[in-house]
Amino acid sequence: MRHPTDGTLRRLLDEPAAIADADREHVAGCPYCRSGLAVVQQDAALVGAALDGTPDVDVDAGWRRLSGALVAEGSQVTVPAGPGRRRWKALRSPVAAVVGAAVLVSGVTAAAAAEWLPIFRAEQITPVVAPRADLVQMPDLSDLGDMEVTERIDLRQVADAAAAKKATGLSVPQVNTLPRGVTGRPTFHVVGRVSATLTFSAEKTAGTVASAGKTLPPTLPGLDGSRFRLAAGPAVAAAWSAGRPMPALIVARAVPPTAESSGVPFRTARDYLLSLGVLPENVASQLRAFSGDGTTLPLFTTIEKVTSSATDVGGVPATLLVPRDGTMAAVIWMDRGVLTVVAGSLSADEVLSVARELKVER
Amino acid sequence: MVARRAEWKDSAVVSSPPGVRADLEQVFRTAYPRVVAVAARVLGSRDEAEDVAQEVFLTFGRSTVPAGEALGWLSVAAAHTALNHLRTGRRRASREEAATRAATVSHEAAAGGGEVVSPDVADAVVTREERRRVREALARLPHRQAVALVLRHSGLSYAEVAAVLDLSPGSVGTTVRRAESALRKELNRHASSD
Repeated sequence: MRHPTDGTLRRLLDEPAAIADADREHVAGCPYCRSGLAVVQQDAALVGAALDGTPDVDVDAGWRRLSGALVAEGSQVTVPAGPGRRRWKALRSPVAAVVGAAVLVSGVTAAAAAEWLPIFRAEQITPVVAPRADLVQMPDLSDLGDMEVTERIDLRQVADAAAAKKATGLSVPQVNTLPRGVTGRPTFHVVGRVSATLTFSAEKTAGTVASAGKTLPPTLPGLDGSRFRLAAGPAVAAAWSAGRPMPALIVARAVPPTAESSGVPFRTARDYLLSLGVLPENVASQLRAFSGDGTTLPLFTTIEKVTSSATDVGGVPATLLVPRDGTMAAVIWMDRGVLTVVAGSLSADEVLSVARELKVER
Repeated sequence: MVARRAEWKDSAVVSSPPGVRADLEQVFRTAYPRVVAVAARVLGSRDEAEDVAQEVFLTFGRSTVPAGEALGWLSVAAAHTALNHLRTGRRRASREEAATRAATVSHEAAAGGGEVVSPDVADAVVTREERRRVREALARLPHRQAVALVLRHSGLSYAEVAAVLDLSPGSVGTTVRRAESALRKELNRHASSD
């Protein structure tokens, strides 16, 4: 009988039962094959040792990271394109929680006037928690007038932190200790200022109000056709992605949203918007509780999906957001006129730890 | 970056992404350590292996691979992806080399301290340096040989390796044997040239 092949000898080591009896018996009685088997065994053991080293893995952390990446996959930033509402939609989607929120409480003021006056500047952030069904009913700004995007989203990657600062004037915070599972060097991104102008339309607003089953209250004198300028940014971010579609960690700073209009004080404007009856009552009542000076940025979160809680970062009040599925965490706070966010597919403790150890060059 | 942050939050808030298979979490929790281990055999680094495992599960999450074939599919995908990383040099070589130097120093210190090194090569201590050479050699192997080798050493049976690589179980032994022989030669070549 001819000698079994090296491949058969190799399998004999791992799965002897799979080898034909005749081959097994041959090897047992053949000095040449036994010698060959010994070499095969030595090589297998050496390579096995060289390839060994089963690592300890944190399955929960891995799952959080994967969930975050999957969630993000379906929602890449879209660059605004096309005219009118579509363009605003593209803008609105990414900045909804920021610009849109500010404007909903502050953007509608009365009495067109010759000069732009600041009516809103975010200085603090307060979560507004409501069922998702309520939040999706909230009107788009383009339901109240005509939106024109004056400075589109310009998101781009830059070489390093210095380039990011040069482009935006904002320092990129330095992370002292990366959480476990976050590796590599960050990529740096900048977004220029984003701005839009809303020209209030009593007719459009009446339609929106009517479709909500309400009646438009008397429009304040001079409101129809008046304009509001809304802006946010620029912003910088460092993202640790390591080739993944969604970063494991993002640290970002931004100039918070502002709104400008003319004439009517913030409180009057807000009260008018709330009087339209187009906001869900539980949202409206939370907004009413905000201070009347136009400095509180509402951070809309759905009660079913996200837990928001108050915390602090270096003594500054902060809001911690954790989806109920635990896939990620984010902490957001405002300090010295700059909005800072630390977010990632991490635990709340990890995100807070990064946030509290950030070093920002002033 | 506010934009991306806000959008990310928004999307996280809204719902699970559509098109992701329902059994993903269950499969993930069962198979993740195994998938990381496959990639770690190729890359020699847990962090890099976890990156590969994430990549593989992202693809799997969008796939319709039958649940019963998930582990085999994930293992072979991890081996392929990790080998591609190895070949394209998407690795943090400097860190690896630093670790290698440290390990070599400690190994040499131990050897110089009078420890008896077993003459049996199978029991010999495999140094970090050797591991690095093995991975370099892995990168040079024909792809299928390398995948078969890694999967076999990750605990897949011959039948499983055969199924995922579309080989006969008999030829798996031959493929694995060739790969091991090539790697051993690579190690010996370096050992004799040291």
